Amino acid sequence: MSIEVRGISKQFGTHAALDGVSILVEPGEFVALLGPSGSGKTSLLRIIAGLEQPDAGSVHFHGEDATARDAKDRKVGFVFQHYALFGRMTVFENVAFGMRVKPRANRPPESEIRRKVEELLHLVQLDWMQDRLPSELSGGQRQRVALARALAVEPRVLLLDEPFGSLDAKVRRELRSWLRRLHDEIHLTSLFVTHDQEEALQMADRVVLLHEGRIEQIGTPDEIRSRPASYFVREFLEIS
Amino acid sequence: MAAFAAPPPVSASAPAPPPLTLLNVSYDPTRELYQEFNAAFIRHWKKTTGQDVAIKQSHGGSGKQARSVIDGLGADVVTLALAHDIDAIASSGLIAKDWRGKLPQGSTPFTSTIVFLVRKGNPKGIRDWEALARPGLSVITPNPKTSGGARWNYLAAWGDALKKNKGDAGARALVEGIFKNVPVLDSGARGATTTFVQRGMGDVLLAWENEAILALKSPGGDRLEMVAPPVSILAEPPVAIVDRTVDKKGTRAVAEAYLRYLYSPEGQSIAAQHGYRPRTPEAAKVRAFAPVKLFTLESVFGSWEKAHAAHFADGASFDRIYQK
Amino acid sequence: MSARPASPFARFALVSSALVLVALILVLPLISVFIEAFRGGVQAWFEAVSHPDAVAALKLTLWVAAIVVPVNVILGVVAGWALGKFEFPGRSLLITLIDLPFAVSPVVAGLLFILLFGRRGWFGPWLGDRGLEVIFAPTGIILATLFVTFPFVARELIPLMQSSGNEEEEAARVLGAGFFQTFFRVTLPNIKWALLYGIILCTARAVGEFGAVSVVSGHIRGQTNTLPLEVEILYNEYRTQAAFSVASLLACVALVALVVKALARKYSNERHRNDEKGVR
Ligand SMILES: Nc1ncnc2c1ncn2[C@@H]1O[C@H](COP(=O)(O)OP(=O)(O)OP(=O)(O)O)[C@@H](O)[C@H]1O
Ligand SMILES: [Mg+2]
Repeated sequence: MSIEVRGISKQFGTHAALDGVSILVEPGEFVALLGPSGSGKTSLLRIIAGLEQPDAGSVHFHGEDATARDAKDRKVGFVFQHYALFGRMTVFENVAFGMRVKPRANRPPESEIRRKVEELLHLVQLDWMQDRLPSELSGGQRQRVALARALAVEPRVLLLDEPFGSLDAKVRRELRSWLRRLHDEIHLTSLFVTHDQEEALQMADRVVLLHEGRIEQIGTPDEIRSRPASYFVREFLEIS
Repeated sequence: MAAFAAPPPVSASAPAPPPLTLLNVSYDPTRELYQEFNAAFIRHWKKTTGQDVAIKQSHGGSGKQARSVIDGLGADVVTLALAHDIDAIASSGLIAKDWRGKLPQGSTPFTSTIVFLVRKGNPKGIRDWEALARPGLSVITPNPKTSGGARWNYLAAWGDALKKNKGDAGARALVEGIFKNVPVLDSGARGATTTFVQRGMGDVLLAWENEAILALKSPGGDRLEMVAPPVSILAEPPVAIVDRTVDKKGTRAVAEAYLRYLYSPEGQSIAAQHGYRPRTPEAAKVRAFAPVKLFTLESVFGSWEKAHAAHFADGASFDRIYQK
Repeated sequence: MSARPASPFARFALVSSALVLVALILVLPLISVFIEAFRGGVQAWFEAVSHPDAVAALKLTLWVAAIVVPVNVILGVVAGWALGKFEFPGRSLLITLIDLPFAVSPVVAGLLFILLFGRRGWFGPWLGDRGLEVIFAPTGIILATLFVTFPFVARELIPLMQSSGNEEEEAARVLGAGFFQTFFRVTLPNIKWALLYGIILCTARAVGEFGAVSVVSGHIRGQTNTLPLEVEILYNEYRTQAAFSVASLLACVALVALVVKALARKYSNERHRNDEKGVR
């Protein structure tokens, strides 16, 4: 399933956080959204998820206009910058949440929920921690629970906001390659935010470079490395 | 078939009359009086008309109660401490201006006066108003600024001096002497009584005669004794129908009967039992009331308004006396 | 390593004087209520609290609490939600306004309602024409109590909802939860102890409120007297034992509230400790 945003603009007060941003993420593609702090990465992701309304422009999934659709009906998986796990629920319940809140008609039976949660926790290698509370996990473990929770509703697309932002370098490297492998296994269309150029260039199929709410360049890591489109890109990627 | 032909019961077509209720808005010391009187009137009304009537009571400071009626408290009758308070309601249009003439004795079914309550055996030998100004004595009275009863205490002392031809200067000296002996000013009459009876403070309490009689019967009352001064003031707590309410509720007949019953032998006798001086000599035999020469407020001070302006308004006589 | 440990004697003196003070100021009066209440024996106590006026006062008081507390919970949660989770113009003004009932003397609060709904008040004539009684009727008592107790729930919730932010709710939304599912499954569990705490304080005050209620009650016996008003009246009638018997009911409400409050504190603290432990 593809994600497309067309001409998205968003103002906060007098400040334009996004200014005419258009991106097409092809089905199964793994795209990094790269840019300095404050360039509008989170804002764009929130607009795609429906947590924020754009002032102009539209959001399409699989070619279908979803701009007016409520966040709860968009079927996107969202992994928040600071996990946003439910602090009062166990790891198991966190992952099961998305299935439990489904309308009664298409809510899976308890046994099915249990099977699915265990499968997902196995996938993120945390099956032995299902009864813990988020506060009893390490940062990397929480991140993986957040990912499992997002995947549990079988989203059509996955949005990740700096998933490794608050982790130390070593864990970060591990998770990075783990996530890439995971993506190669399940081929979910993914857009992931980072302001770490090394991370973006190393993991992504394509990279979108955002600067002050505008797109500076879109391309594969190789294209961007070899033909930076502007002085800003060159500076930002420290290409000499 | 016969069952269908039977006419419906009569009561089904004529709605039952709403239960008859009266609200008597009164002042603080009359609680016990009206508790008993209401029961008597309910019996009387049932016997004479066959109707049940329920009577609700509300008690509070007389001025505050008048204020509540003006603000919308739905009293059928008011039985307050001062004609002044009923006048206030009348001037807001709820009671006819000529209410005083509607019932006997200026709409005042019973009277009262100010007496002294002292410790058993009267150890300080207090007999009259002059004794209260003796240095070293401790006198309990509430604050005339906030308590209606306390104003009567004050005016009684003042009037006593005038009656003895001591003039305004002599009256001021007497009242000043008395208030010099007051250790604390309670805000209300009941508070002052509690201070004296239950907390055991003071040598003498200035109180309504009916309050004093009640206090003698309350716990700790057996250690007290009542002293009636030779001269005191006549208090005439009046009653009136609240025309606006009874006309709206259609309770005029029963409200009027209620107030009139206060003048009946039974009503008078209940008033006497509770320490109010009845209007009829027969009822006065219920309890021996001490012979006190009573003067009315009007005869000495002209009117309640004049007394208020001269003595209790801000900066008037009481303020000058108490600030010293 | 900074503060010198107090000498054992100083510590003993401090602790014991604190205990004595607490006993004198808080415990002793509470005990004396019960001693006075049962001075005439259980029989006399029972007679006092089963007197029709006392029963009517109890009923009215419970009614008032039964209406005021749920309404305040709903208003408090809505206010807490709006103020804690959203930014909008006039927000800080609103936060200040929520505390208004605490700043205003209850007597003044009562008078405000007379000013609004009294016979000569702003809405009084309109209501009077329609035969609706507000002041000097249970409605007025409920309104006044509502006003006085409004801040309790909202105040407990606002700081909590503010500090917990909006993230969990947003996560729930993208996972497909509707408004009520989000509230009951995510928001409510996060605020439930604070909410309970607010409810207890609100209930205790609703049951015990004297000042504002006294102004709007009209003191009609068996009709518009709440428990605290009944206590005062009984006391003024020299029926001390009866007054304290009825007061003992109020004291019981207070004691239950205290126990539940302590439990709520304990549980919410436990949660806190767990959360902190996890972070380290
Ligand atoms: N709710 C908001 N209200 C006002 N301004 C906002 C809001 N959200 C974002 N902004 C502003 O919009 C701009 C883009 O913010 P955004 O969070 O999208 O940046 P970002 O690229 O994710 O930055 P970072 O890498 O630091 O997370 C910033 O200048 C920010 O201050
Ligand atoms: Mg961001």
